[in-house]
Formats: sequence, structure tokens, C-alpha cells
Amino acid sequence: MGKRVLVIGLDCAPPELLFDLFADELPNIKRMLDNGVYARMESSHPPITIPAWMVMATSKNAGKLGVYGFRHRKPGTYNKMWLANSHSIREKTVWDILGEHNKKVVVVGVPPAYPPKPVNGSQISCFMTPGADKDYTYPQRLKKEIERLIGEYLLDIVFRTDEKDKLLQQLYDMTKQHFTVLKYLAKTKPWHFFMFVEIGVDRVHHAFWKFFDKKHHLYEPDNKYEDVILNYYRLVDREIGKLLELTDDNTSVILVSDHGAKSMKGAFCINQWLAENGYLTFKKIPPQGSSLAEADIDWAKTQVWGWGGYHARIFFNVKGREPQGVIEPENYESFREQVISDLKVIQGPNSEKWNTKVYTPEEIYPDGIGDYPDLTVYFDDLNWRSAGTLGYDSYYLSENDKGPDDAVHSQKGVFIYYDPKRDAGGERIKDLSLLDFAPTVLKVIGVPTPKDMEGKIIKEVT
Amino acid sequence: MPKKDEKKKFTTVSIPSPLFKKVEERIKGTGFTSVSSYVAYVLREIIAEEEEEEEPFSEEDKERVKERLRALGYID
Repeated sequence: MGKRVLVIGLDCAPPELLFDLFADELPNIKRMLDNGVYARMESSHPPITIPAWMVMATSKNAGKLGVYGFRHRKPGTYNKMWLANSHSIREKTVWDILGEHNKKVVVVGVPPAYPPKPVNGSQISCFMTPGADKDYTYPQRLKKEIERLIGEYLLDIVFRTDEKDKLLQQLYDMTKQHFTVLKYLAKTKPWHFFMFVEIGVDRVHHAFWKFFDKKHHLYEPDNKYEDVILNYYRLVDREIGKLLELTDDNTSVILVSDHGAKSMKGAFCINQWLAENGYLTFKKIPPQGSSLAEADIDWAKTQVWGWGGYHARIFFNVKGREPQGVIEPENYESFREQVISDLKVIQGPNSEKWNTKVYTPEEIYPDGIGDYPDLTVYFDDLNWRSAGTLGYDSYYLSENDKGPDDAVHSQKGVFIYYDPKRDAGGERIKDLSLLDFAPTVLKVIGVPTPKDMEGKIIKEVT
Repeated sequence: MPKKDEKKKFTTVSIPSPLFKKVEERIKGTGFTSVSSYVAYVLREIIAEEEEEEEPFSEEDKERVKERLRALGYID
């Protein structure tokens, strides 16, 4: 008989914290590390919550999914966007495949999960749900059960605030509540596959990283929030321990994250840089902090514009493709080469060399569909986030443009596999890819892996 | 190789008898000649709707999600 699998998803959990810095403080995760196998997991392009979790769940790259972030540009527009949602995912997820093989599943908070799709079991949507007043469960009646248990379900917290104490309370309330729900589902629902993603881990990093990371440029020694991240991980570890008590010996446990985290060095104002380098033209100088949509842009004289985020998305204003396109299609490639070389030589505020990565869609999305950008850019290997807003004195902001945020994303997430029946000796194996997750889960449960999955079965776990 | 059932053009699904009777009542005087053809029609409609719907958010819901994403820093 195949095993059952419990998947603990910790959004944004970096290997440096889980495997090294915090490991001795987290007895339940430590037990999994010591007796299981573990590795770093290469994230998706871009290494962002959406698409990363779905790359993991489907074993298809973001291009194949046609999902490149939370938002996407509507083709042929400058500022209109559509939002990723559960319907954007057309490829089968690991739980879809398990359901087809009559395996029962419980899936909680794996984004994008709104609106909740039918599964062979139970599903709760994610933080992309418009509000707790909406139907966020499958089946619909599960929402009533959840509300009887805990009242209003907490979908997310808003972390970009200076009211840190209040934020911390909300974070604890949310995470404890989520685990109450998870324990309830683990006990009351039949399942072969149980997966959840706790978004609080990502939020605590973004909100408190500078208080803990001595290398952060805004770190202050002996500050009152120094141990907030560690204490939050302790909470998560305790809750994981309680959840593990509800599982039997036949349940393998996989702990994963979608990407890592590291210190944010600052924000780079991409549109301002484009403007000063002649790629983007304003009709009127925009006031400080304007978004691109608010700025008065002379599109007929603009070749390139960009979007902010942990990475930058760059769009070209191409004749015949954009409403006021200026780049001749036959010049597209040579123009692109020029922009790439200009972006790659951007230096830091003190003329320090940056390791900026610039990707064309062909490089990272060879079979890409849908609305991908013309270029995907990681400023200084993601150490600098991209700010889309405009009107500052400098391209370089030491803090984020849209409220406090101290962390950026890194390319490596975590993978830990723990089988309570088998001591695997805590072997650290070579780096894996998010794509390897789904085929491995299917193998452990005993369901054939579809041939079109891009990842491999991790042989050390099976 | 498709399974034997998939080769056939039609297959059987079960629905509760009272529901069957209700559908029978409903299609009286319509162009539907059988409960099966009506049920197939309804299912196709639902599936097509799901597949075509690019963004299942209402305008108001979309603004709520965008507002949250803005606060999270994913939208400028």
C-alpha cells in the first residue's frame, strides 16, 4: 500500500535559517532534518509565491503555465492588468492527479486558489481571496464548519506598517488560527495527501528582517524585535509538532518552501532610470511617488517601461503590438540586445558592481504562453528590489517605495523529506528544483507520474 | 490507449430519481427531447463558462485583491 503524504509549505522559508541558523531551536523540524533527507530547492522564474507554488504543484515551468506573477499585463495595453487566480492554472496539479486515482486530498492555502476549484476532498483558498465573506472553500459547506470552529477565517495580514506590535499580534493570531483549522481537517477529513501553505512565514520576513539580520543596512543592535523571526519559527515548529502527532507511521512528511529570503539592500526605480536614459518620456514631470498609471507618459515617445516588485518586468512599446508602439518589429531583437547590455552595467549607488541578471522569455520560458514580459530582471541578483514608482531625486531608495519591507526573495527554497519508518540519516543531497516535488509525491503515494511533468523523482526519498 | 468506456460515444451517469423527475418536468415543451440531452447541455455550459472565464473576480472583488496586493508590495 502506498504511503500518505503531509506537505508543510512555509512560504519564503530560506535554507540558511531552517538548515543552519535556527535548526537547533526547532525540535520538530530538526528531527525531520536529522532523520530524513534534505536539500535546497531551486525556485521558479520569477522566484515569487505566484507562480512558484504552482510550478511545484504541476511540475511545469511558469511559461508552460502562462502565469508569471500576481498580476499580468493585458495584451495591447499599457496599464491594464489581470490577476492570477485558480482558473489561470490549466495544468493538472498533483492533487488533481491523485484525485483521479481516487486518493483523497486536503489542500489549504496553496496560491492561487481563489475561487476554490473542486478536488477529491477539501480545499481552502489562499490570501488572494477578496475577503472572508466570499466562498473560499470546496465544498462550499466547509466554510460553515470552519466558521463554527474559529469564527472569521484570517486570509492574510498587511505587513507594510510601522505598527510592529499590532502586526505581530495579528501574525500570531492568523498562524495559530490556521493551525487550528489544519489540525481539525487532519483529524476529521479522510486524506492520502494533505498540503498547506502558511503565508505568515513570508510576512514575518518582510516585516522584521532588518531587526534580525546583522548584515541588513538598517540593522540596529539590541533592538526589541531582534528575536521576532526566531520566535515566530518556534511557534510554527510547535504547531508542526502538534500536527505530526495526528499522523500515523505510514505518513511521510515533506517540508517545502517556494523561494528563500535575504536582506533587501534597497529599491531601484526602474522607470526613473529608463526616463533618464531616454527610453521613457513624460509629458509632465511626475510628482514624487507617482505610479506609472498616475504619471503623464508620452507613449508615442516611449520605448520601454517597467513594473516593480521583487524583480522587474520590462515591456517594450512595439509597433503593431502596443497602441502607440514605436519600436519596429524588425528592430526588436537588436533593440532588446541594447537594453539588456544597458541594464547589465547598472551600478549601485556607490558605483559598486552589481550582478544583475536579465532574462529573455526564450531563455526562461522556452514554451511560454500568455502574457510574459519582454525582459525579466533581477537587480544585483535580487538584492535590490524594483520600484515602479517615479519622481525621486535618485534611482536608489534605501527603503521600499510602498511602505516598510526589509527582505527580498532569493532563488533557493527548502526541501525536507521525513519518513517516520525509515532513518535516512539526515543526508543533505544536492540541490533540487521545485519541479521535482510533484513527481516525487506521486511516487511516494504510489501513483504513476505523467510523462509531461518536467521534474524528476527524487531518488533519495523513494 | 483509451479505456473501453472512453471509446463509446455515450456513457451513463447516475442522478437521484427526484432530480430526474424535476428535470423531466422542466424540459416539457422545450426543445430538449430527453433528460440526458438537457443534462449534457447544462454541464457543457458550466464547463465552458469555467474555461472561458479569465478572471473570476467581480470589479469590486478585483479592487479588494488589488488593494491587498498593493499593501503587500506586489503592485506599484
